[in-house]
Amino acid sequence: MKIQQLITNELRAVFTNHALLLTVFGGVLFYSFLYPLPYAKQLPREQSVVVVDLDGSQLSRRLIRMVDATPQVEIVRQSHSLSQAKELMVREKLAGILVIPEHFYRDLLQGKSPTLSYAGDASYFLVYGTVLEGMMMAGKTLAAEVSVTRLLMSGQAMELAEKQYHAVAIGMHALFNEAGGYVNYVIPAIFVLILHQTLLMGTGILGATQNEMVNNGEKMYWQNTSPFNLLTVRAILFFVIYALLSLYYFGVAFQFYDIARLADMNALAFLSTVFLLSTIFLGISLGTLFPRPELATATALISSLPIIFSSGIIWPESAIPSPIVMAASMIPAIPAMKAYILLNQMGAELQQIQALLTHLALLTLFYGVTAFTLLQVKTKRCRAKMRSL
Amino acid sequence: MPSGERSNKQPSEWHHILHDPWLLSLVSWLPPLCFLVIYLIFSQGLARDLDIGIVDLDQSKLSRKMAANYDASPTLLVKTSYPSPQEGTKALRGGEIYALIIMPVDLEKKTILGQTPKVEVFYNNQFLLIAKLVKSAILSAHSTTVAQVETLKNLSTHTPIIGQAMAAAIPIGSQVTPLFNLNTNYAQFLVSAIIPATWQIFIVMTTVLCLAAEMRRGGLSSWLGSHPVRAILDKLAPYTLLFWLQGISFLLGMFVFLGWPIHGKLSYLIFCQFPTICACQAAGTLIFFLSKNPARSLGLAAAYSAPGLAFMGVTFPATDMTLPARIWRSLLPVSHYIDIQIAQTNYGSPLPLSLPQLRNLAFFIVPGIIALMLARKTARSSQQQNR
Repeated sequence: MKIQQLITNELRAVFTNHALLLTVFGGVLFYSFLYPLPYAKQLPREQSVVVVDLDGSQLSRRLIRMVDATPQVEIVRQSHSLSQAKELMVREKLAGILVIPEHFYRDLLQGKSPTLSYAGDASYFLVYGTVLEGMMMAGKTLAAEVSVTRLLMSGQAMELAEKQYHAVAIGMHALFNEAGGYVNYVIPAIFVLILHQTLLMGTGILGATQNEMVNNGEKMYWQNTSPFNLLTVRAILFFVIYALLSLYYFGVAFQFYDIARLADMNALAFLSTVFLLSTIFLGISLGTLFPRPELATATALISSLPIIFSSGIIWPESAIPSPIVMAASMIPAIPAMKAYILLNQMGAELQQIQALLTHLALLTLFYGVTAFTLLQVKTKRCRAKMRSL
Repeated sequence: MPSGERSNKQPSEWHHILHDPWLLSLVSWLPPLCFLVIYLIFSQGLARDLDIGIVDLDQSKLSRKMAANYDASPTLLVKTSYPSPQEGTKALRGGEIYALIIMPVDLEKKTILGQTPKVEVFYNNQFLLIAKLVKSAILSAHSTTVAQVETLKNLSTHTPIIGQAMAAAIPIGSQVTPLFNLNTNYAQFLVSAIIPATWQIFIVMTTVLCLAAEMRRGGLSSWLGSHPVRAILDKLAPYTLLFWLQGISFLLGMFVFLGWPIHGKLSYLIFCQFPTICACQAAGTLIFFLSKNPARSLGLAAAYSAPGLAFMGVTFPATDMTLPARIWRSLLPVSHYIDIQIAQTNYGSPLPLSLPQLRNLAFFIVPGIIALMLARKTARSSQQQNR
C-alpha cells in the first residue's frame, strides 16, 4: 500500500470517529473553560470573622477597626465569650475568631506584653492562611506602633525610632506567582495534564475501535503495511493535532488567564516535541491493548488524580514514598508538568531542565519501541485472522 | 436483584460482573488500590527538610547563627550556600531550592549599632502550598533569632529584668489556635477529600460502563424490554451495594484504622453515603441515555466527574467561587457529600445542620427521573420499529 493511501485512511479513521473527536477537540476546549472556573477569583478575600473583645478599651476598638480594614478579613460579629464565639462560628460558618484579652490596653501601657489570640478554621488551608494573615498583619502593625511610641518616649528621634523597632528586619519576596493566585498555581500544571490525558484517550480510542473491528473480522487498511509506517503516520498525525492544541493552551488560553509565558519559542517547541511524542507512543501502545474504546477513556480518567498528586507540584516529591515516585516517573506527564512550569512560569534556562528533557527523551524511545513491537504483533494477528476466515 | 421469573430468562447482574474482567476490576480491587495510592502519597503528613539556599555576604557570628536557626526548623534544610545572589536566584529559577535567603554585608555590625539591617528572602510562590509551608517556617525561624538578639540587647541596655526585656522585644504576643483540625495536618484533610472525589469518578464511570455493556451484549431495546424502569433499577442495585461497601471501607480505613480525628458520628456519614451513591448513579444513567453510545457517553462522564475535586471547595473555598462555578459545583453529588463529611469529622455538627445538603442530594431524583423517561422512550420507539 502506498504511503499516501495510508495517510488518507488514517485521516479518515481519526476524523470520522465521533468519540475521538469529542474527547480530543471537545475535551480540550471544554476543560480550558471548566478547570479555571472555580478559581476565577484567584484569592479568598474578606473572610467572615467574629471578635471577642474582653478589653473594651479605646485601643482594642482601634485594633478591631484595623483588622476589619484588611482585605483578607471582615468582622461580621462581636461576641462576649469564647464559647459563644465558637458556637457562632460553627452555626454561621465563619472563618475565624480574634480574642482581645482583658486589660489589653493597661498591660500594654505597663510594658507587660499582653497576648492576642487568633483562631482560624484550619479545615481549609487557604481560608486559614488568609484569615491569620489578615489578623496578624493588623496585630503586627499595632505592635510596631506601640514599639515606636515607646522608643519615642525613651527619647529617640522619630526617624530613628521608626527604624529601630526591630533588631533585624526581614523582607519576604514572592517570586513567579507574586500575588499567590490560584489560577496561576493550578492551571499551568493542569493544562499539561489535560493535553496528556486527552491524547492518551484519543490514541487509545482509535486503537481500541480498530481492535473491535479486527475482532469483528473486518479488513483493516493497515494490515498489509509495515508497522513502522503505520506508527510513523499515526504519530505525525496526532503530533500535528496536538501541536495546534498546545498552541491554543500555551498561547491564547494562557494569555486569557494572564499566566506567565517566559519560555522562548524554541525551548518550548523542543520540550513539546519530546512531551507529545512520548505521550503519543504511550497512547498507541495502550491502544493496542484495550478491547473496547470506552476503556481507554476510563484508564485516563482513573489515573488523573493520582498523577497530579504524585507530580511533586502540590506535595513535595521528597515527602512522597519512593516506590510511588519511581512508578510515576514512567508517566510522561510527570516530568513534563514540572519542565513546562520551570521553563514557562519560572523562567529557567533550557540547560536547567536538561534532566527532565532527557527523561522525556528516554520515555519517547522506550514507548516508541513498545508501540512498534505491539503494532507488529497486532498486524500479524490481524493477517492471521483474515487468512483463517 | 432480579426476581424469580426474570432470572430464568436472563443471567443476574452478578454473573455479568464476574464474567467481565474490566468491570470486575472496577468494582473490586481498582478503587481500593487508588484510595491506597492517594493515602500513601500524603502518608508522611508533614513536609520535612524542604531545600532552601542561603547567600551569606556577612560571614559573621550572627549570620551563621541565623543560618543555623533556619536549618534547625524541621520544615527546612539549608541545602546550598551560594557565593552570590545571582547564582542563588538562578538555582531558584531552576527549581533546585524553594527559597533563597540573602544576608547582607555588615549584618552583625549594623545589628550591634541598632541600624536594623534587612535580610531578604525570595521564595518560590509558584507551588503555593509548599510556598506557604516554607514561608511560615522561615518567618518563625527569623523571629526566633530576632527575639534572642533583642532580648540580649534590651538586657544590656535599659531593662535588667528578663521578663521586661522580652516584653520590650515583643510588645504584643500572639497565640495562634488552629480550630477543627487540631494538628493542622493539611495532607490528611486533603486525602479525606480526594478519596471521595475519586469515589465519585468510579461510581459515575462504572454506571456508564455497565449500561454500555448491556448495549454491546444484545442492544438496548431487547434489554429494556417492556419494563425499562425495572430493568434499569435491577441492573444498578447490585452496584449501589458495592459502592456503599467501598464508601464504608474508606471511612473505616480513615477514621477507625488510621484513627484520624472525627468529632461527629460515623454512622451518620455512612447513612449519607447512600443518597450520594444514588445521586451519582442517577447522573451517570442520564449521561448514558443522553448519548446512547458507549465511547461518547464515557467521554461525557469524564468531562462531568474528572474536575470534581476542584469544585468541592476543599482546595479553594466554595464561598469565593463565582456563580457559574457554584452552579456547576451544585451539580456534583460529591460536593454536597463532602460538606456533610467535613461537618461530621471536623465540626461534629448536630445532624439538623446538614439537612440542606441532604435535601440537595435528594434533588438528584430529577436527573434520575429524566433518565428513566429517556429509557422508556428508547424502549418504546424500538418496540414500534419492531412492529
